[in-house]
Order: sequence, then C-alpha cells, then structure tokens
Amino acid sequence: MRILVVEDDTDLNRQLVTALEEAGYVVDSAADGEDGHFLGDTEPYDAVVLDLGLPSLDGLSVLENWRRDGRTMPVLILTARDRWSDKVAGIDAGADDYVAKPFHMEEVLARVRALVRRAAGHASNELTCGPVRLDLRAGRVTVDGTPVKLTSHEYRLLSYLLHHQGKVISRTELTEHLYDQDFDRDSNTVEVFVGRLRKKIGSDLIETVRGLGYRLGAAGDD
Amino acid sequence: MTTEPMEPVEEKPPRKAQRSLASRLVFVAAVWSTVALALAGVFLVGLYQRASERGFDALLEVHVKALISEMLDTEADPDDPAAAFPIKPPSYQEDPRFSLPLSGWYWTVRRADSPDVLFASQSLVGDPLNVPDIADRDKRADFITGPAGDEVRVLQQRIFIEDTPYIIAIACATAGFWTEIREFARMVAVTLCIAGAGLILAIFLQVRVGLRPLARLRASLTAVRQGQADRIDEDLPAEIVPLAAELNALILSNREIVERARTHVGNLAHGLKTPLSVISNEARASSGPLADKVADQAAIMSTQIQHHLERARMAAQRRVIGVSCDTEPVLDRLIRAMEKIYRDKGIVCGFNHVAPVRFRGESQDLEEMTGNLIDNAYKWAASRVAVTVAPFDDPASNREMLTITVEDDGPGLTPEQRAEAVKRGRRLDETVPGTGLGLSIVADLAALYGGRLELGPSDLGGLRARLTLPALGRS
Repeated sequence: MRILVVEDDTDLNRQLVTALEEAGYVVDSAADGEDGHFLGDTEPYDAVVLDLGLPSLDGLSVLENWRRDGRTMPVLILTARDRWSDKVAGIDAGADDYVAKPFHMEEVLARVRALVRRAAGHASNELTCGPVRLDLRAGRVTVDGTPVKLTSHEYRLLSYLLHHQGKVISRTELTEHLYDQDFDRDSNTVEVFVGRLRKKIGSDLIETVRGLGYRLGAAGDD
Repeated sequence: MTTEPMEPVEEKPPRKAQRSLASRLVFVAAVWSTVALALAGVFLVGLYQRASERGFDALLEVHVKALISEMLDTEADPDDPAAAFPIKPPSYQEDPRFSLPLSGWYWTVRRADSPDVLFASQSLVGDPLNVPDIADRDKRADFITGPAGDEVRVLQQRIFIEDTPYIIAIACATAGFWTEIREFARMVAVTLCIAGAGLILAIFLQVRVGLRPLARLRASLTAVRQGQADRIDEDLPAEIVPLAAELNALILSNREIVERARTHVGNLAHGLKTPLSVISNEARASSGPLADKVADQAAIMSTQIQHHLERARMAAQRRVIGVSCDTEPVLDRLIRAMEKIYRDKGIVCGFNHVAPVRFRGESQDLEEMTGNLIDNAYKWAASRVAVTVAPFDDPASNREMLTITVEDDGPGLTPEQRAEAVKRGRRLDETVPGTGLGLSIVADLAALYGGRLELGPSDLGGLRARLTLPALGRS
C-alpha cells in the first residue's frame, strides 16, 4: 500500500512517514502544496495524508485540483484550523476524513487504515482469503490460525492482493503500489516476492494470469 | 483551568426616545409662526386704529375751521367800539347734533390763559367739557369721558386772534369706533388663524417629505443589522450620503477586524498545534520518565490552547455587526459531511425542517455549535440520528427564536453526566477521541447569542441536545 504524506513541518512530516512505514506502508512525502499536488496527480496512491496549511498551494486547493482532475484516492486531511466550518469545507472539497491537530499518531494510522480498507470495499479490519487471515490493526498474518512471519515487502504484497482479491493486478500496478517513486520499476523483484509469498502462505492462493498479472483468490471470493 | 464568566449578548430594553426630529421641527416652526402671526395681527389692528383716529381728527379739524370762521366777525364796523372785540359768539350748528342736549357732539372756546369757557355748544347744556391740558402744544387729540358719561374724541387747537391765544375744543361721540376696531381685529384674527393653520400644515408636510430619506436610512440600517443586507443603500440626499458612507465604512471595518482576528486565531492555532503534535508524538514514541512527563504536559498544553483559542474566537465573534444565515443549508452540509466521516457506522439521519428559519448570527458559529452536537450524536449513535429545526416565538423575551434538536439512539447520559457535560473542559469518555470541550463550547456560544443548550433523554433512547438560538423572521 502506497501513501503520500503532504506536510510542510519537517519534523511532523518525518514522524508521519516513519509511523506509516512502520505500519507497513510505502510512503512518499512532499513538503509543499505544489510538490504534493504533482505527486498525487502523477503517482497512484492508496491514500493521502494532506495538511491544509501548506506553503505555495494550500491543501484545500490541492485537494480540489485532484478531484477536478478525476483523482479518487482517499484523502485524510490534517488541520490545525479545527472549526466545523473548516472541516466541512475540507470534506466538501473531497476529503474523506479529517484529523485535528494536535493528534496522536495512532489516530492517524487508524484513519488511514480505515480509508484504505473502505476504498477497497472492505468493512472489517480483518481481511481473509481461504486459510489466510490478515489483521490490519495488529499487522499480523496467520494461515489456518498459525502466525506467519513476513518481511515488510512480503507483507505489503499480501496486503495489496488481499485488499484487491479477486481482481487481476498487473506487475506494474504492484510495483507502483509497493515501492516508492525512486524504485527501479524495470527490475523483476515483484516475481521474487510473489515466489517467496507463495512458499509461506500456500502456492495455490496467488494465481498467475498469463500476460496480465496476478490474482489472489477467485473473483468475488472475499 | 481558569474560567472567566462570559457575558451573553442581550438585547437591552430600548431607552425612552427623545422627542422625534419631525415633532421638534413642527413644534418650533408652529410656535414661531403663531407668535409671528399674532404680532402681525396686533400690528395690523394698531395701524387700522391709528388710521381711524386720523379720520376722526380730520373730521373734527373741519369743524374747528368752520367754528373759527364763524367766530371771526369779518364784517364788523371798525369804528364801532363794540366791534373792537375781535371775536363774536358763535352759534355754530353746522351739525344738528351740536344743538341736541348731551348728543356726544360738543364744542367750547376759551382763552388759553383761563380755564373759563367763553362760548360752548348748546349740546353741553351748561355742563363742562373736561378736556386735558393742552399745555404749550398747538393741537391735541384725546379720548375723554363726555358730560353724559360716554366716551368722546376731543380735538383741542390753539389759535391766535389779535395776539390773544384761544383754545377751541371740538368733541364727537366715538360710538361705533371701537366696534369697528373690534370687528376689524376679529376679521384679522380669523384670517391669520386660517393662514397659520395652512402654514403649520405646510410645515408638517415639508418635514415629512424632508425627513423621509432618514426613514429610508433607518430601514436600510435595520436591514444590515438583521443581516438582510450587506451595506446601507447610499442612494440618499447629498446631506446624508456622507453619514451612510461612514456607516458603511464602519460596517466594513468591523467585518475586517473580525476577519483579521479570526485569521490571527487560525494562524495561532496552526503555529501552536503543529509543533505540539510533533512534541506529543515524539514523547509517546520514546520511553522513560522524561518522555512521559513531556507527553503529559503536551496534553495539558493542548487542552489549554484549545480552550483559549475558542475564547479568542468568541471574543472576535462578539464584535460582528448583525449577520444572519439560513439554517437549512448549514445543517445539510454538516449532515452530508457526517455521513461521509461516519459512513462505516451505517447511521440513518432524519433531518426535519419544520419551517424555513434564519439564525440571527454567524453561519460559522451555527456550524460550530450544530457540528459539535451532530458529531457527538454520530459518534455515539447505534443506528439513528434525528435533527429537527423549528422556529417559535419566545414570550419571555418577546423575540423570535429557533430550536435545533439533535437526538441519537446511543447509550445517552445520566442526569448527573448531563449537568457535568456542559461544564467547560469536561470529557466524559476518554475512549472516544475528542478534546472534551465540544458541549461546553456549544453552551458558551449559545449563551453568547442569548440562547441556551439543554440536554435530556431522547425518545430514540440516547441523548437529546436542544439548542435554542435567536431567529430572524420566518424566511
């Protein structure tokens, strides 16, 4: 899962990036509105954490521009201006949720998790596919009730496939959502991680659709 | 936490107004016109009386001249010793009334140096004609009381015959003279009264028409105060356009001050809350007594900042000149936002707008109050939230008010918890995110507008929050 953080305060930006990375996300960050807008416009993110008070282009304008250009990724706004008029203006501009500053990082993580899950059409914080169960809150994976130890890359890959199970996911899409913008997209590391994951959760769960990509579980099977 | 009392904005009872501008103008003009017309009447009657007296005196002078000519014996023989006496006794009866006893028409002739009458008209029948002393004047006219007790006009004239001064007095009755003067005065009074009434009516109309732009200015100002207009209409006479322009400048300046204050509060919020987030999260990510202390203190700072920023916002709000907003779109927007924020809970919200009504205040404040209430309802509701807006006339304050009732089917609050919840800085359940200031801010803001927040049990099973606020007519 790939998240964009747009926050001008260097320390808060770093804290958000670290916390999200520790929670298993791939994170890109921007420190002003224009950079943030450009990244959100050009890269596929699963969610965006957007501060409203940004230099060069304010958060509300960034959000409105994205929505006008048809960008539909879920957006969590961070705002120090926490009057309801400000919050409602943010929601009206296309935000999916808000967190008022000062906030606890756990709250941001919970909101981001809910946004990503909701965007993929899941109601629960536990995603399952056959014997595989992923607890999003705890970041824990079990197969037939037995905990499985995954690397962060393997975890991201499984999480993305579970969020979009039943759909064919191309290798490019997986690369875009599992690695940050600086990653060399021509490398074949995705195949390597799919191979490792198959060994850990069972080889028949991740199906290779020739010429198109990968699919977890049968279509419509949650 | 210090808690300074907030003063609610109450409409003061109107001070007894001074007498209106129109009645002042009409009163002063009416008094002045009445006095001027009365003086003119007195002057006119005086002129008429003097003209009448001059007419009388001219008539008497004719008689004096006729009497003199009769007294002078121009045909006397100069050699006759008796003829040496220069005058002969006149029997002047030019007017038959000089011979009728006590007719009011009299004449006398006497030497100037003696009070004894030499000759007198038959009408005096021996009675004296008591005339005032002519002194050293040649002519004198007076009103005196005649021998019959009636008023007569008497003209005395000094003449010299053979160097001897004689005083001739001719009197005639004034009966009818004063009657005519009174009749004239009555006619003058009637005429001037009619003219005065017409004048006052004209003044009244002039004042009404002249002051009409002030009434328009007042209506325009009322519309601004009630939030029905942004600025005062400046299509007014040249004399009051500067006043309207100054008022508009004042209104604009007031809004700018409030806007600036809000911007400052917003900037301050941003400036403080971002570093506070950093400190708080850094402390929570670390371990040890120092980190715990920093986390605790950061939490206290956060509550304090939140509280004082709210106070600063309220202080800014109190200065704004009358604005109003429609309740329906504000609540619609809020409910839409809540549906998005709490979409996972699948809550059904019923919005019942009994009648269209405007809130007499800032839309941002309405949003803040109702936002907190609806947010709380969504936060706690199991499946249902109901929002009802209804206008009503408050007989206690004689003002139009509105109620916004927000109900949920959540766990609700006990009476003690309800009383506690509207106190500042209280947070009833630490498991649900929030600063704990939501309801107390709503109560403070409502009080500032002269309204109130009441909590009670809802028919839905949870909490019912009823907000009473000033309304502006039924839009």
